[in-house]
Amino acid sequence: MKLDLDQLREIIRLLDESNLTEIEVEHDDDRIRVRREPGPSAGATASETAMAAAHSAHPAGAPGTEEEEKDYVTSPFVGTFYRTPSPESEPFVEVGDSFVPGQVLCIVEAMKLMNEIEAEAAGTVVEILVENGAPVEYGDRLFRIETS
Amino acid sequence: MLQKVLIANRGEIALRVIRSCRERGLRTVAVHSVVDADALHTRLADEAVCIGPADPARSYLHIPAIIAAAEITRADAVHPGYGFLSENPEFAETCAQCGLQFIGPLPEQMRRWGDKVSARALAKSLGLPILQGTGLVADVEDAVRKAESLGFPVLLKAAGGGGGRAMHVLSSKEELRAVFETARAESRAAFGNDALYFEKYLERPRHIEFQILGDAEGNVHVLGERECSIQRRHQKVLEEAPSLALSDELRNDMSLTIERAMREVGFLSAGTLEFLLDESGQLTFLEMNPRIQVEHPVTELVMGIDLIDEQIRIANGQPIELPTYPLSPRGHAIECRINAEDPDTFAPSPGTITELHMPGGIGVRVDAGVYGGGRVPPHYDPLIAKVIVHAPTRARAIAKMRRALDETIIGGIRTNIPLHQRILAHPAFEQGRISTRFIDDLQS
Repeated sequence: MKLDLDQLREIIRLLDESNLTEIEVEHDDDRIRVRREPGPSAGATASETAMAAAHSAHPAGAPGTEEEEKDYVTSPFVGTFYRTPSPESEPFVEVGDSFVPGQVLCIVEAMKLMNEIEAEAAGTVVEILVENGAPVEYGDRLFRIETS
Repeated sequence: MLQKVLIANRGEIALRVIRSCRERGLRTVAVHSVVDADALHTRLADEAVCIGPADPARSYLHIPAIIAAAEITRADAVHPGYGFLSENPEFAETCAQCGLQFIGPLPEQMRRWGDKVSARALAKSLGLPILQGTGLVADVEDAVRKAESLGFPVLLKAAGGGGGRAMHVLSSKEELRAVFETARAESRAAFGNDALYFEKYLERPRHIEFQILGDAEGNVHVLGERECSIQRRHQKVLEEAPSLALSDELRNDMSLTIERAMREVGFLSAGTLEFLLDESGQLTFLEMNPRIQVEHPVTELVMGIDLIDEQIRIANGQPIELPTYPLSPRGHAIECRINAEDPDTFAPSPGTITELHMPGGIGVRVDAGVYGGGRVPPHYDPLIAKVIVHAPTRARAIAKMRRALDETIIGGIRTNIPLHQRILAHPAFEQGRISTRFIDDLQS
C-alpha cells in the first residue's frame, strides 16, 4: 500500500467528519494511523505511534516565547529528522503544501522508534529548516509555517 | 577503546568527568535542558545536545532522550555522574542494549544494594558488621512490637530510600503511632515504595565511608576512608580524609573485610560503603552507593589518584592502575560543598551570578559548575562548587580552607560559605570532636 497525499487527506477528512479519535489502516507491512489529539498549545504534537510508555508524547516544546515560536514547528524530541515515512517514499510535506491539524509533517527517530510529528493546527509550510536525516535537538525548529 | 563519552549529568560533576576525558584524549558530549543551554558543562564539552525542558523528569532523567543524544552524536560510552540516573539499573541496561558502555557499576549491583533491607541482609552475609535493626514492618501494631523489641530510640527508615530522606527518629511508641502513616505515605511518594523498617538510633555517631574500586579482572581495592559527619538533615556539608576517629588497626581490619566482601560480589567500577561509627568505636554498615560520590576529591587528593580516570580504564576492560597497594593517605584533605542557599534559613538561592572569584594558591582545588554572569537555575541541586584543600596536616588543611573561603567572592546569589566559616572556626571542629549532630549543636 502506497498512500498518496490525496488518500491521506481522505482519511483525515473521514476522521474529521466522524466522532472517532483515531483511524488506523494497515496493509502488508505498511500502517498509518491518524489521530485526533485534544489540542495543547502552538506547534505540533508527537503521535504515540511507536512510543513506549516511557516516551510519553509531549506537546512540541517552545523554548522561546510563544509569540515567536508559533510560526515554527519545533522538535519535541532529540533524534534524527526524516521527511519521508521510508527511504523510497515521498516526503510528508513540501514547501507550499497546506496541512490540517493532526497531519504528519515529519518523523523524528529516537532509539530506533519512529515518532511521527503531527501538525497542531491547520497551515502552510513556508520553509523546511532541517535536512533529511540530520540530527535534531529538543526544541530545534523544523518547519517555518503560516497558520491559517 | 572508548572514543567519545556522553555525560548524562550537569553542574560540577559533568565538568569533573569532562576534565578526565579531555586529559585522556576522549571526545565529550554534554546533554542539557533548555535552561542549561549556557551552562558551563554545555559550553565546555566538545558537543552539546539539548534533550528537553527544564523539568528533570523530561530531560536529565529521561532515558530515551539521553540515548537518542548518544545516537545522534555517535558517542560510545555514558558516564552518569551522581544523582539523576546514576543508580538506575534500567538506564545502565538500556545503555548496554544500545551498544553504549556504561561507565559505572553493573546494573545488578544497583539492584542488590538499592533496597536498604536486602542491602543490610547482603552486607551481613558478607561478614560486614551491621547496625541492630528489624525486617520490614507490616502495619502500625507490628511496628510497635518491633520497635519495642529493638528498644527506643529507633530510626524509622524507608526500605527503598536513600540520600537521607524520609527518616524519623522516634523515642516512644506514642511518637511512632503518630508518625507511622505519614512516614509510609512519604516513602511511597519519594521512592514509590512504602516498605519501612527500623534501625537502632545512635545519638552522636560519626559517618565514615570507604572508597572502593573494582576491575574486570576481579581486583578490588579499598582506597581509605572519608569522614562525612558534618551534615545537615542527613545531607553532607563538609568532608575530610582521613578520619581522626579511626585507629590504623580499625582502618586496616575494615579495609580487609570490605575488600573480601566486594571481591565476593564481583564489584566493578567505583562505589562507596557507608558506615556509622558509634561512641564505643564500633563501625556498622549503613549503605552501599554504587556510583562516584560528590566528596570523592578528598580521597583523590590524599591518595594521589584520579577516580574518574580509573572508572574509564575499568570500563575499557583495563586493570586498576595504582602505584602501590594498599595506598596510604598522604596529608589531609577537606572539602566544602558550596551551595546556592541562604546560610541561615537554608532556603535555595537561585539567580544570576554577578561576580565570581574562586580561590587558588597551593593546595587548593576548585570543582565548580558555574561562571561569572552565569545563572543558577531553580530546578536542580543547589550545589554549585566544591572547594577542596590538601595540606600536610589537618590543622594546616583547616587554616588553608579558612584562607580559601575568605578569598572566595560569589555575587548575586547567597551561599552557605558563612556556615562553613562558622564550622571551621569552631574549637570542637578544630579538635576533631564531631558527630552527625555537629551542625544541630552549632545552631542551638
